[in-house]
Amino acid sequence: MDYDVLVVGSGIAGMESAIKLGDMGKKVLMVEREGSVGGRVILLSKVFPTLDCASCITTPRMAASIHHDNITPWTYSEVEAIRRNPDGSFKVTVQRKARYVDEAACTGCQLCEPACTVAVPDEFNYDLIARRAAYIPFPQAVPKKAVIQREGTSPCTDTCPAGIKAHGYVSLTRSGKYEEAFQLILEATPLVGTLGRACYAPCEGECTRGDLEGTLPIRRIKRFVADRHYASYDGPNVTPDEPNGKAVAIVGSGPAGLTAAWQLARKGYRVKIFEADKEPGGFLRYALPTYRLPQEVVAQDIANVTALGVEIAVNAPVQDLDALKLDGFDAVLLATGTPLSTSMGVPGEQMKGVLGGLDFLRDVRHGTVPEMRGKKVVIVGGGNVAMDAARTSRRLGAQETLVAYRRGREEMPAHKAEVDDAEAEGVKFQFLVAPVEVVGDASGKVTGLRCQRMELGQPDASGRRRPQPVPGSDFVIPCDVVVAAIGMSPDTAMFTRLLSLGEGRRIKVDAKTLQTEVPYIFAAGDVVTGPSDITQAVGHGRRAAHFIDRWLQDQPMDGFFALDDRLAVIDKAKVMARQKSFSHRDPVTLSLQHEVAPQDFHEIEPALTEEEALRGAGSCLDCGVCSECGQCVAVCPPDAIHLDAKPETFELEVGAVVLATGFKLFDAALKEDYGFGKYPNVITATQMDRQLAPTRPFNNILRPSDGRVPDRIAYVSCVGSRDKTVGNPLCSKICCMYTAKQNQLIMGALPLADVSVHYMDVRAAGKRYEEFYEQAKAMGANYIKGRVSKITELENGNLILRYEDIDQGGAITEAEYDLVVLAVGVQPNHEAEKLFPDETLHLDDFFFVNEQNDDLSPGETNLPGVFVAGAASGAKDIVDSILHAGSAVAQAASHLEKASAKKVSV
Amino acid sequence: MSERRIGVFICHCGGNISDYVDVAAVRDAIKDEPDVVVAETTIFACADATQTDMVQAIRDHNLDGLVVASCSPKLHTFTFRGVSRRAGMNPYLYTQVNIREQNSWAHTDDHEGATRKAIQLVRAGIAKTRLSTPLTPLEVETTPKTLVIGGGIAGLRAAVGLADIGLGVFLIEKEAEIGGWVKKFGTMYPSGRQGGKLIDELIEEVRRRPEIAVFTNAELISKSGSFGNYKVEIKISGEKSMGLALDVGSIVVATGFDTYQPEVGEYGYGIDGVVTLPKFKQMVDSAKGELVYHGRPVKNIAYIYCVGSRQPEGNAYCSRYCCAATVHASLEVADVDPSIHQYHLYRDIRTYGKFELMYTQSRERGSVYMKYPEETPPSVSRRSSGQLTVTTHDLLTGGEELEIPVDLVVLVTGMVPRKNETLTSALKLPVGSDGFYNEIHPKLRPVETVVDGVMIAGACQGPKSSYESVASGLAAVTQSATMLKKGVAELDPMVAQVTPESCTMCGLCEETCPYDAVSRTEFEDREVAQINAAVCKGCGGCAPICPEDAIDLRGYTDAQIRAMIENLAEVPVV
Repeated sequence: MDYDVLVVGSGIAGMESAIKLGDMGKKVLMVEREGSVGGRVILLSKVFPTLDCASCITTPRMAASIHHDNITPWTYSEVEAIRRNPDGSFKVTVQRKARYVDEAACTGCQLCEPACTVAVPDEFNYDLIARRAAYIPFPQAVPKKAVIQREGTSPCTDTCPAGIKAHGYVSLTRSGKYEEAFQLILEATPLVGTLGRACYAPCEGECTRGDLEGTLPIRRIKRFVADRHYASYDGPNVTPDEPNGKAVAIVGSGPAGLTAAWQLARKGYRVKIFEADKEPGGFLRYALPTYRLPQEVVAQDIANVTALGVEIAVNAPVQDLDALKLDGFDAVLLATGTPLSTSMGVPGEQMKGVLGGLDFLRDVRHGTVPEMRGKKVVIVGGGNVAMDAARTSRRLGAQETLVAYRRGREEMPAHKAEVDDAEAEGVKFQFLVAPVEVVGDASGKVTGLRCQRMELGQPDASGRRRPQPVPGSDFVIPCDVVVAAIGMSPDTAMFTRLLSLGEGRRIKVDAKTLQTEVPYIFAAGDVVTGPSDITQAVGHGRRAAHFIDRWLQDQPMDGFFALDDRLAVIDKAKVMARQKSFSHRDPVTLSLQHEVAPQDFHEIEPALTEEEALRGAGSCLDCGVCSECGQCVAVCPPDAIHLDAKPETFELEVGAVVLATGFKLFDAALKEDYGFGKYPNVITATQMDRQLAPTRPFNNILRPSDGRVPDRIAYVSCVGSRDKTVGNPLCSKICCMYTAKQNQLIMGALPLADVSVHYMDVRAAGKRYEEFYEQAKAMGANYIKGRVSKITELENGNLILRYEDIDQGGAITEAEYDLVVLAVGVQPNHEAEKLFPDETLHLDDFFFVNEQNDDLSPGETNLPGVFVAGAASGAKDIVDSILHAGSAVAQAASHLEKASAKKVSV
Repeated sequence: MSERRIGVFICHCGGNISDYVDVAAVRDAIKDEPDVVVAETTIFACADATQTDMVQAIRDHNLDGLVVASCSPKLHTFTFRGVSRRAGMNPYLYTQVNIREQNSWAHTDDHEGATRKAIQLVRAGIAKTRLSTPLTPLEVETTPKTLVIGGGIAGLRAAVGLADIGLGVFLIEKEAEIGGWVKKFGTMYPSGRQGGKLIDELIEEVRRRPEIAVFTNAELISKSGSFGNYKVEIKISGEKSMGLALDVGSIVVATGFDTYQPEVGEYGYGIDGVVTLPKFKQMVDSAKGELVYHGRPVKNIAYIYCVGSRQPEGNAYCSRYCCAATVHASLEVADVDPSIHQYHLYRDIRTYGKFELMYTQSRERGSVYMKYPEETPPSVSRRSSGQLTVTTHDLLTGGEELEIPVDLVVLVTGMVPRKNETLTSALKLPVGSDGFYNEIHPKLRPVETVVDGVMIAGACQGPKSSYESVASGLAAVTQSATMLKKGVAELDPMVAQVTPESCTMCGLCEETCPYDAVSRTEFEDREVAQINAAVCKGCGGCAPICPEDAIDLRGYTDAQIRAMIENLAEVPVV
């Protein structure tokens, strides 16, 4: 037996149960789902009828419950299942959720809180104010250890093939931490400015705000922080690790090669890049037209890499990998991309005026492109290179540019924005046509492209419908230039001596580690995957760098948390459900004025203004809560924060179970007539209690709409209780008394305020409760019998209550108040019933845990050895919970006594 | 003066103290006092994190004295003793200084004055700590037996519970039979079971447990000894009167309640046809087919609530159980004869929690509820025609005066404390202003009393339903078990001690001690007083009375008190 008793929950009933059992000498495991023990009582201002400070009477219990020799307190943990063993004891499954904070190391200094860039409603202040995603639940928390709230990976971050923490740099930008945002992206890749312009931004496609008003401008925020950085820093502002004495050669300086070089150089490797062309950058330099990606941006990004000491040799094609090894490189990374254009495979392709798509773009950059002015250009293909070629031809003065594509517009692999922009720039499209022959004149010059019409048949392996030729549909498109942008392939022939190739002449690697069959050779990017995009290449470059490092350091080949084994993506429905009310946010949109015949290659897209960047970032819904911005990790003095932590699950044997799972409060918004959630000055009594607590969020009682101190305060009793219209015919028992308590505290804090209570019956049933209620009246609380039928809001935020005034003959009356407090009731929280996969815990008609023999054994459930303590079995105030826990504990102890007697007799 | 190493922690208590006291100024004022090596302020001294800091400070600075200036010692004495213990320092080297209840809260209008006073109080605390000596609690073996007083439902259930966790039980009942009130009750709520059956079931459980010895016609006469080892004297009356001496470790008092007895004329009490709730309950429980009073069928009933409860003069308290009990009775009446008209004249219907369902059901089944104004309660009279009539105002229908002809008026009477003077004085049980026994803390420690090891359960602590009484009976079982299952008890070492050299055995201390802790012993061939540390409560009554100053209270020695006074006074005492 691991523990005598499992106590589920650490509110007042759970702590009482655990402490009393511990005092009896029983070994207790107390499991609490929140980050601190204490439940709701610790959040209260004072308690009735003694007006003791709730903190003062609760903190000793909290401390006792975790310092007790016989109690093992597991906070931020959940009981997942309780199963009965044949001998009547239980096997329980408990998950210690990842707190992302090493409890032993955390000192509770709270530096992580102000560093955190994500704010969420503070449930411990009943949403009156915000707390951070890195938080200590409340000042008296026990244990005083931080929690990083990670509900999942945010969809934007999750979808990024480069593993860039999109949510992180958005939240940093929102907080004005632009350089930190830049540095966060640098953790993935040096190509910040490049990606800020040329990335296809899959993050924006996943943005949850996209399902509302429109996505955040995530990519342009990246460009914003890059522009800010480059305007004020010379270089990346990064210090690499001390040289570790090892060297890596990288073949190819495209996005994969540059990223890998950056990552390895940061770790202290000597890195040399071998580039075959005359300038570094690969596709960034030669394939992407400058109107999308200015060359100085590429140069700035590459300078990040060279700033760390990476040497880039240009005009340096590598033929012999062995030679690199002999030159002292400990590992080699091949990142040579797909530099070869695929030919159309039709007659006439050798004619003058036929160009490969990539060759065309490269020639433009080299200044060797043939004259286009006045020419008719046909671009064959429907991908991004085709669009780039088409738009480039417009800029070179082509008289007409026509894209010929064998499928329909919807099937085009090019990004929609590219297609739209091309069209806006005057590019024409002809769909469902395929080239069959390049037609030329006697001098071998192109005069036209013979095509045949296609129709779409059954879907192929890619899911797109396969085009089939329509017999006899041939026709000729007259033109001067044909650009065949139908595909690209790697140039790997020189490596075949050492390496075997896969499909499409790509290099074969281990998919996870990117290691080839020759251990010191790794390969990454398009040379492995075939044509992809920049983010994929960056992701591959990171992966290769990680595993090269692991391999060279003799580490196990794992631990690539940037992209592998991440926290599951959060369910968007959960994000939406979390938003109590949506406030509309105007999206930051981009409307470009395209020229039909653009004259030059200047950058089209404007930068975000700072205001736009802040507004755009400010509308983030913080889907995963923690944005992984890393600020807490950076400030934590004892290095206690580990965002890669994993939850741990334990199977334990216990002798008995006490369920102290508590209750939930009625959601006041369900009582629509009272306007909670709609009228800011209608608050719940729990929110008022927080305003009265010593750890109150403001230093006075304020009304939310304008922060004014209210003069006239009304309480509405029985909100969510004794009310069939909300499905709860029960009385919640505690509300009358906490109302009387708050009345007294308010009159103490605001001596001039008028407090009225609209009630049905005042239920001051309990020792010294009646006297307490009389005391509230004597202090000036005005009790008005009669239900409130409706609350309406005036322009100044004041509220009109419409009610029946029974003491005045039952007249329907209206009165104006500054602040209305709803005395919300108690509801079952459905927590306990989920714990028993193999048996049914009986509930009463109202879904509280049923006490089958409440006349003689309060706290006994239908399951032998399982007891219920406190409000999980129905509304209870503190003293009733204490007594009920005492009752449950007596029976749990008796159960253990019988079980051990049985064991002895056996 | 000896060199001491004292740590001082001054608490903000959120804002409870620091809103009125400049705590930083207090720290600055005392940080250079002799022997003070640590002086810090803290937002919440009681917070676990601060406790951890204190433990660290005690260890780092090798402290041999701790002063915490925060709230009342009633709240946190054990908290900071625990801190000291965890840090490896003797817990009795810590002093609590109250700068909240006795300072910040009392002087909210004078921040400067409150700050000055806080400084003096903290200085006094330091002075006391300087003279503190390590003390060790007395450990005594406990008797694994509990005396349960009262054989009602709470006492019976407690007896069974105690036996089931392995404790011996003596159950004494004043009456000739066990079972209490519930034995006489018919249908109970909310379960619908018969009260008599419940008690029979419990009695059967008691019989099956040899660990439980039951004595009827039995009363407790006296108690001596201390927690863990009480000696009690029981008097058994009847044909063969006898006395009984028992050794027990703890005592559970479950002596129940009496019902309120109205004065003649109170709401017509004394008029034929006006009955109290318990009487009415008996009628209903025994009714078959029709409800009959004095041979006449009852067709119209008026219930007048809060008779003897919630009265500005008389019992101010709410009797808690009566609303639900009456509403439940009205449902039983409707079961007996649905044609009976029932009028409920009430102030507030307090069917709290799930009892609300009965209230709803009662209205659905025809009971009429009328709220009467506090200032004009209903009146009852028998008219010249002989018609019993209730006159009332119903606020729910405009407050008009109504006359209701009825056959029966039920005065909804509540619970009152039972007169039990012998027991109360023998156990030295504290009684509240309402006459019920007082718990040590009404919120968190509802079954414990200020007398260690003496618990209260059921309605002797305050009005309760049967279900609630049972729960508190079992809570008392738990409390007993926490004390007795360990087998040993720690007794507070802050007790009186005699310096035998100075004692002349004048006997004044013997006379004044309320706990009989003083006895005589030989010292250097003469008789001197000696104090039984296990019995002494540390009340301090003997110390000032001793003409020879031969008695000192450990933890509060004369020297310590004098040092405190010197520091509290502006001008040092010459």
